[in-house]
Amino acid sequence: MTYHPALIVFVLGLATALATGLGALPFAFTRSVSPRIVAWSGALAAGLMLGASFGLLQQGVHHGAWQTIVGANLGVAFILATRYVIGDHEVTFGRQTGETAKQMLLIVVVMTVHSFAEGVAIGASFGGGRELALVITTAIAVHNIPEGIAISAVLRPRGTSVLGCAGWSVFSSLPQPLMAVPAYLFVETVKPALPYGIGFAAGAMVFMVLLELLPEAYEEAPGPATGAITALALIAMVLFQQYL
Amino acid sequence: MHPTLTVLLYSTLAAGMAGLGVLPLLRRERVPGAWIGWAYALASGGMLGAAYLLSAVNSGSPVAMATGASLGVLFILFTHRATRASLVDRHRPDRYEPGDGYRSALIDTLHSASEGVAIGVAMALDLRLGIFLAMVMGVHNIPEATVLGAIVRDWPTRLGTVTGLVLAVNIAQVLLAVATFAVLGAAPAALVWLQGYAVGALLTLVLVELLPDAYRGAGATSIALVASVALSLVVLFGGAIR
Repeated sequence: MTYHPALIVFVLGLATALATGLGALPFAFTRSVSPRIVAWSGALAAGLMLGASFGLLQQGVHHGAWQTIVGANLGVAFILATRYVIGDHEVTFGRQTGETAKQMLLIVVVMTVHSFAEGVAIGASFGGGRELALVITTAIAVHNIPEGIAISAVLRPRGTSVLGCAGWSVFSSLPQPLMAVPAYLFVETVKPALPYGIGFAAGAMVFMVLLELLPEAYEEAPGPATGAITALALIAMVLFQQYL
Repeated sequence: MHPTLTVLLYSTLAAGMAGLGVLPLLRRERVPGAWIGWAYALASGGMLGAAYLLSAVNSGSPVAMATGASLGVLFILFTHRATRASLVDRHRPDRYEPGDGYRSALIDTLHSASEGVAIGVAMALDLRLGIFLAMVMGVHNIPEATVLGAIVRDWPTRLGTVTGLVLAVNIAQVLLAVATFAVLGAAPAALVWLQGYAVGALLTLVLVELLPDAYRGAGATSIALVASVALSLVVLFGGAIR
């Protein structure tokens, strides 16, 4: 029995979204996680995302360097536009600052908007072949766990149940399966769009890492360990893709 | 031209480009903290691109590559600790101390040694890739020299001496590029190890030293934009070569 590729894309996208819920697990044992652990998780996620982007860029350049870079810049513009729409708010992890309700809503909204670009990454990577897609999907799924931790670190100390934290974490990643399918169908139907789609995903992910994940990680955990974790995760991801 | 001469020529050109970094100091005594942030963002993007280009070439055993990369990460962490690099407040020109100049010169010399290894490895993988990478390093040397120059100039020091110093710290780049290329000519089996080392060292330089300093100098949005544009240009032109 064979399944329609779009269904496989949807199921894998859904699996990455469900992985976000795993971020709530540590909160079954503790009500709050140290900001340093959250920062190091963010650094790990940043390395995985950068490594996945390196793989996407390599694949995109193979199909057309200029088109990939145009797509990458569109990805950067997309993240800038979403930041403009949701505003330039600071979200602190695990600390009681600002208006509680606003902050809880904000972290979920910020993470949900981020997921759009990651959904495009999953869909576009399927256009580049199943091996690339599996690597990118795995990277995004693993990267979703620290995102779930970040969401739960804000929600749990404010009284949300562990199940509620997991639910909101999964909710924030639902755009992934929803965006992955149209992105896949688009690059499959309009073949010349493939390097643009791959570039868009890579550009958006790199920019998100540089704009949010890394500055937050450096702020919460200054010191060489944060950068070293990102470097090692990036290297592991690159090697994983090359030698899979 | 003999390949070793090509390595010598282009790595010297890359090191010489550091001299251009002194130009902004002609017009002002002190460089604003934001400029230093953007300078490091530009250098970070270029260096990330260089690591991307080097990591994209599959030249052997993943275990050797991973071991080499881990050694690169460890070496930069060791030098970061040994030079106490975090003590230099580069983004606050009003707080420079005389010792910061010596410390920064030492840090930049150690940086340029690893960058030299990267140039030598790239030349051994493919001469055209090596020439491109040397030029990327050259462009990256310019903002790095501006920051070092700004710190040293604050002593105060004559501009000629500042230029001499920023060029001198990059001599290690030339020496290590040629030495690495020569070693790889004699022992090609070492290529994948040194390739891993170069990737690990470049990434750690960016993530442990350059980017944290960049964020302290200017806002995250402008830093992310400058670094992304620099990275995309290296990917674009590097992709055209390969």
